[in-house]
Amino acid sequence: MTKKTSLAAVRQRKIALCAAVFLIPVIILMAVYILYPIIATFVNSFTQWNGISTNKKFIGFYNWNKLIHDTKFWQAFLNNIKVMLLSLVIQMPIGILLATFLDAGGRKLNFFKIIWFLPLLMSSVAVGYLFHYALATNGGLFTSISQIFGGGKIDLLGNQKTALYAVIGVICWQFIPFYMVYYMAGYSSIDESLYEAAIVDGATRGQYVRKIALPLLVPTIKSAVVLSVTGSLKYFDLVYVMTGGGPGSSTELMATYMYKESFSKYNMGYGSAIAGGMFILITAIAGLLMFLMNRKGDKE
Amino acid sequence: MKKQIALALTAAMTVGMLAGCSGKTPTAAGGSTVTSTGSETTAAAGDDKTITFWNIATDEPDKTIWSYAVDQYNKNDSPTSGYTIDQVATANDQYKQKLSVAMSAGQCPDMYIHWTGGPMREYIKSGYAQDITDIVDELGLRDKYLPAALDQCTVDGKIYALPVKNQSVAVFFYDKSLWAEKGYEVPKTLDDLETLCDKMVSDGITPFALANSSQWTGSMYYCYLVARYGGSDIITNAYNQTGSLVNDATKFAGEKIEDWVSKGYFPDGVNSLSADDGEDRALLYQGAGMMLQGSWQVASIKSENPDFYKNLGAFAFPTMTDSSADQTTVLGTLGDNFISFNCTGEKLKEAVKMAAYYTTDEWMKLDEDSGNLPPLVDASSSEPAWQDITSIIKGASSVQLWWDQYLPSSVAEVHKSATQTLFDGTGDPTKVAQEQQDALDEYFKENGSSTAASTAS
Repeated sequence: MTKKTSLAAVRQRKIALCAAVFLIPVIILMAVYILYPIIATFVNSFTQWNGISTNKKFIGFYNWNKLIHDTKFWQAFLNNIKVMLLSLVIQMPIGILLATFLDAGGRKLNFFKIIWFLPLLMSSVAVGYLFHYALATNGGLFTSISQIFGGGKIDLLGNQKTALYAVIGVICWQFIPFYMVYYMAGYSSIDESLYEAAIVDGATRGQYVRKIALPLLVPTIKSAVVLSVTGSLKYFDLVYVMTGGGPGSSTELMATYMYKESFSKYNMGYGSAIAGGMFILITAIAGLLMFLMNRKGDKE
Repeated sequence: MKKQIALALTAAMTVGMLAGCSGKTPTAAGGSTVTSTGSETTAAAGDDKTITFWNIATDEPDKTIWSYAVDQYNKNDSPTSGYTIDQVATANDQYKQKLSVAMSAGQCPDMYIHWTGGPMREYIKSGYAQDITDIVDELGLRDKYLPAALDQCTVDGKIYALPVKNQSVAVFFYDKSLWAEKGYEVPKTLDDLETLCDKMVSDGITPFALANSSQWTGSMYYCYLVARYGGSDIITNAYNQTGSLVNDATKFAGEKIEDWVSKGYFPDGVNSLSADDGEDRALLYQGAGMMLQGSWQVASIKSENPDFYKNLGAFAFPTMTDSSADQTTVLGTLGDNFISFNCTGEKLKEAVKMAAYYTTDEWMKLDEDSGNLPPLVDASSSEPAWQDITSIIKGASSVQLWWDQYLPSSVAEVHKSATQTLFDGTGDPTKVAQEQQDALDEYFKENGSSTAASTAS
């Protein structure tokens, strides 16, 4: 041993080794439960397979070709876009408003904090059933209120024109608390001294929020937007529980369509192609979104 | 840094989505052995002396009904044959998924229940349901079952399953005391029905208690109307590729439903009410005119609302006077649950023997006492509501399986969601028929028209 390695280098190597050892379980888990299924999905999308048989028939790009020309899939995609846009427009501002309110009020408002957080604690399936009954045309909450005031029965979920919006309303009800907490965390990362300095300089609370807090929250807003967009594009559970994609296909989302093809219609091959299509679309949209947001960020 | 975090988050979410999608994707052909004859049975299972039997008997009275044969076989036959039955019950909601996953992993149980129709054809095609025609004849079982029930288990002249449990047909239920009070009479023809419904509407009663977010419920009106106009040949021919669903019968059915919707025969928000939650029964209890539903509702109504049950009556779907089609056809399934077998040789024979316990007199009594009517020739029921229903079944020349069960799964889904649009007035009768025909065409394009070809041979 003529060459003497420095102590720092030895330590560096040991840390790297350590890190690798600690990461192995996670990497294995990720590979088995995330990487492998993705690859398998894409492989399956090139086959005709009913999901139960052991022989898959390789059919090339047939499923993908079908997917591109499938109006139902694009209709579902359009519905997803509606969910995405309305989620952004409704959830983000209300989330920020609630967080601002709670941030300004401090401990006095802990009661509201807890109440407003409750929807997020319930499982989606429970929320779905809850609102399925609340929106029921026969004896539901809205119908009962309407009837007290002499109105007729209100049918939101059974009407093709309103069903999607009713579901979006419920989605917002469930997820606004999430963004509220998310922005509250953003607020708490802003240094208290900035607020104090602003007040000393004679700023009002409103000016502080508009001129100082919101600009500092921009990174938080950006990641919240990305979360909301990807979340709405792959949305499944509430829709599945509340309408099952109906009436007709008025609330069909990409994910519910994929589920139906794969597990109800026994077209696992085509279902996989839909999943693959979703993967590509969502990745592309999220990537584009981040590119646009970050480019804007650089200019400022 | 924030950029990286956002990137990582997005990656994680998109990736998570796909993982969710294909989490159930099983390991290809890894686990199972595929023999060249096309019948797939795990090699290990061949030597094994345990016959696994999957069903949905998690609750009473199903538990007693299903365990009976298992216990009897294990007590009487096991000592001589050496085989034992291992019963595995799964809750109904998860059962279909669990079965599909097990099959895709090559671990299909030796015996399992299903509901025939489209999925059964998938099981047969995949080699998970064996032909038991010879064994059925050898054990003399053929005469015990209702011919129409056995017919439902038969594909290309071969029996692939045995019917158990119940005769389920779609009939109109009504409240006898309400009808007597209002002076309503059971309608014989569609014209009678419409006159009656008009009277009900003017009396402030909703004629049809229908909960159609479940889709298969409204589908029954459609199927019946098609059958009354054109007979059950319409759907049979469409499935055998000798006819199209775009015809006068489907047009008639679609237009009739549209007409009825516009006249207010159906409840408000019909497409948001769920039959799984019993919202159609609730409407009936609240004084709606009648409910077109499966006969299994008898057991539900009996346990749910004993007072109402006392006055429960049933009548067949009214007939059409100016049609040449057979007007006695009923829509339904004779058996409700069906057992198929995924084993061979001696084991298969023992498994069928075990299933034959579901035809004994003792079992029949057990099944009847729980409110069911077994799909057997000798079955009878003392329940008053069943008297009406059995006379309908006995008077029927043929039983038309529910379309959503009869059609291949991919077409069934289209059928259900297309007919649903008729009930909120947005569906166009011709377009609804066309959508279903398109789905059928696509099914045959992708799967070949083997069924039609082999029926001819």
